[in-house]
Amino acid sequence: MVSIRLDKVTKRFGKVVAVNNVNLEIEDGKLYVLLGPSGGGKTTTLYLIAGIYKPTSGRIYFNEKDVTDLTPAERNVGLVFQNYALYPHMKVYDNIAFPLRLRKEPKSKIDSKVHEVAKFLRIENLLDRYPHQLSGGQQQRVALARALVKEPSVLLLDEPLSNLDALLRVYIRAELKRMQQDLGITSVYVTHDQSEALAIADKIVVINKGIIQQEGTPEQIYENPRNVFVATFIGNPPMNIVKGAVLEDGTIETTGSRLTPPPAVLEKIKRLKLKNILMAFRPENAVVSEHPMEGRFSPMGDLFEVEPLGRDAVVTVTVGEFVIKVVMPTKEAMQLRIGSKVYVNIDPNTIKYFDPNTELNLEYIEA
Amino acid sequence: MRIRKASLLFFLGPALLVVALFYIIPLFLSVYISFTPMVDWNVNRYLTQFIGLQNYERLFHIVMYDPDMRAVVITTVVFVLVTLIINVFGGLLLALATYFMDEKMSATYQGLWLLPRMTPIAVYSLLWYYFFHSSGIGILNSILLKLHLIDHPIALGLDPKYLPWGAWFIIIFVNGLVGVSYGMIIFYSAFKSIPKELIIAARVDGASTTRIIKHILLPLTKWHFTFVTVWQMFSLLMTYAQTFLLVEWRVVDSTWGQTWALYVFRTAFTTTKDQGLAAAASTFLSIIGIVLGIVALKALGYEKMILEPKGDI
Ligand SMILES: Nc1ncnc2c1ncn2[C@@H]1O[C@H](COP(=O)(O)OP(=O)(O)OP(=O)(O)O)[C@@H](O)[C@H]1O
Ligand SMILES: [Mg+2]
Repeated sequence: MVSIRLDKVTKRFGKVVAVNNVNLEIEDGKLYVLLGPSGGGKTTTLYLIAGIYKPTSGRIYFNEKDVTDLTPAERNVGLVFQNYALYPHMKVYDNIAFPLRLRKEPKSKIDSKVHEVAKFLRIENLLDRYPHQLSGGQQQRVALARALVKEPSVLLLDEPLSNLDALLRVYIRAELKRMQQDLGITSVYVTHDQSEALAIADKIVVINKGIIQQEGTPEQIYENPRNVFVATFIGNPPMNIVKGAVLEDGTIETTGSRLTPPPAVLEKIKRLKLKNILMAFRPENAVVSEHPMEGRFSPMGDLFEVEPLGRDAVVTVTVGEFVIKVVMPTKEAMQLRIGSKVYVNIDPNTIKYFDPNTELNLEYIEA
Repeated sequence: MRIRKASLLFFLGPALLVVALFYIIPLFLSVYISFTPMVDWNVNRYLTQFIGLQNYERLFHIVMYDPDMRAVVITTVVFVLVTLIINVFGGLLLALATYFMDEKMSATYQGLWLLPRMTPIAVYSLLWYYFFHSSGIGILNSILLKLHLIDHPIALGLDPKYLPWGAWFIIIFVNGLVGVSYGMIIFYSAFKSIPKELIIAARVDGASTTRIIKHILLPLTKWHFTFVTVWQMFSLLMTYAQTFLLVEWRVVDSTWGQTWALYVFRTAFTTTKDQGLAAAASTFLSIIGIVLGIVALKALGYEKMILEPKGDI
């Protein structure tokens, strides 16, 4: 049972700061997802935990033990790669047995362990094949088997599903989550796919430009993003952002519509002396209609496009300089005429307010 | 289809022409000449005379009864075998060493080892001419003299006291130094083409550098190993330029420093100018080369390298 702690960890490659002063605690037995765009520093963070890279500065702890100077083998981590990195010249059996052989475990023990893990992952019938004789999903399982056979204290997965087709991905990620819970193994899972992260994570760590943007449960990350980056990275489509001007009387004006923010927000606006404000809302928290709706904040715009996606449709409206996407039932969306004047009726209670200077969510700014 | 054929011919044409002009035609010519009694390049007189296998019989006779020719055979075997081992394993070692270095270091290091190959043959040979020179100005001699290991200059490649080993040492050394860079470059790029994740995976699995070499790098570059071995064997069988200069400049003994390829060259151009015999010897060498090549490919498991088809999924 292992918890992981990164203490002010920085990793530089020449001039590039891949990971910048990261503090992170990963709880024992939980599945943490490192989520972020390409080049954000996810893999680097993972390799730092694995011990493949030495941090430029900072320390890494497993439980309370400082492992910063230990090798990957000494840390006993299992690692699954995006391209699986199976040894192409070894049969599946030998791939899985490889880490045990390096530990010089007795043959009979190796054999029973390999079969045990193969049975667990339902790849017993593949043991005699070479990696190139396997499908992507099968290779993925073999890679997982090779990582698990060591009974690692930590399981690290670097975009393990990105080489699979969309259907298989959804199926296997559920399996992975199940397996992780059954084994209760502390896991760090890297992905740039926000829906994957939301689906399987106990905790999501959003990382961009080597800096942790936000850490929290999927609900926290989704419902209350800490900054504009997280707001616009999570969700499909992500949050809509509208800029407004703060007026003397405490109302906010944008593209001809006015909104009175909640008192707590107003107080912070006043204290920060904000002249402008960013408002963000989720596409599913608004409805597009021909007339403004009661109790909603309803800026007016032009209907640009309707994309039906089965039950729901994505409706795109241009409001002044802003492009807003709304998800609403296809039936209602199809009633609207492209190019006509429409109202985007936003539920005012779901609006999040961000400081345009720091791009921080006002709720995360200390009162 | 016709257009594709035409364009194919257009693009391949020049290359095919070059191959035909410089390889195929000379090959046929040399095989042809081996059936004529050509001497002194008297083409007009001998080109139309056909004497069957006489040249081959003469060659066989010389090999059987002329001790100097025996020396050529032994020298060739020793030279090719030892230099091949040095070239292949030296190249492998250099490639491994540079693979585990950081990029800048390895580039410099490889550049250094490539120098002998990039230096013109005459200049390169001249270097070793001075190095192994039998007088006191020879670099080797002056070093040994300074160190008081010898009290007067030695002729390592000529003095019967040191033959045949002295001459062999020099030609193997000089050719080996040129040859290692070939294996180094091929093996190095082969290692570099192995996905980095495989190496990282092996490290995470607990493999030391030696284990990574043994279990990952070497098994995955078997084909390159075979290729380099066979290729180098061919070039060593056929090479003579450096050795020729060393013999001409009297650095190594003309008997124990003479490989079969050099014998062919000298017989055709410098010593007896017996082109018929030389052509027979060269044809024989080509046959030996091809046979050895096939044997080597078989021995190194070329067939096994062709992968089994992908099974059902
Ligand atoms: N070995 C390296 N040498 C130099 N720079 C590196 C190295 N590895 C990563 N970087 C740089 O560090 C930054 C973070 O890279 P990293 O691989 O961690 O990103 P990532 O979040 O995993 O991205 P992706 O989703 O594309 O895999 C990038 O700018 C990358 O160019
Ligand atoms: Mg990555």
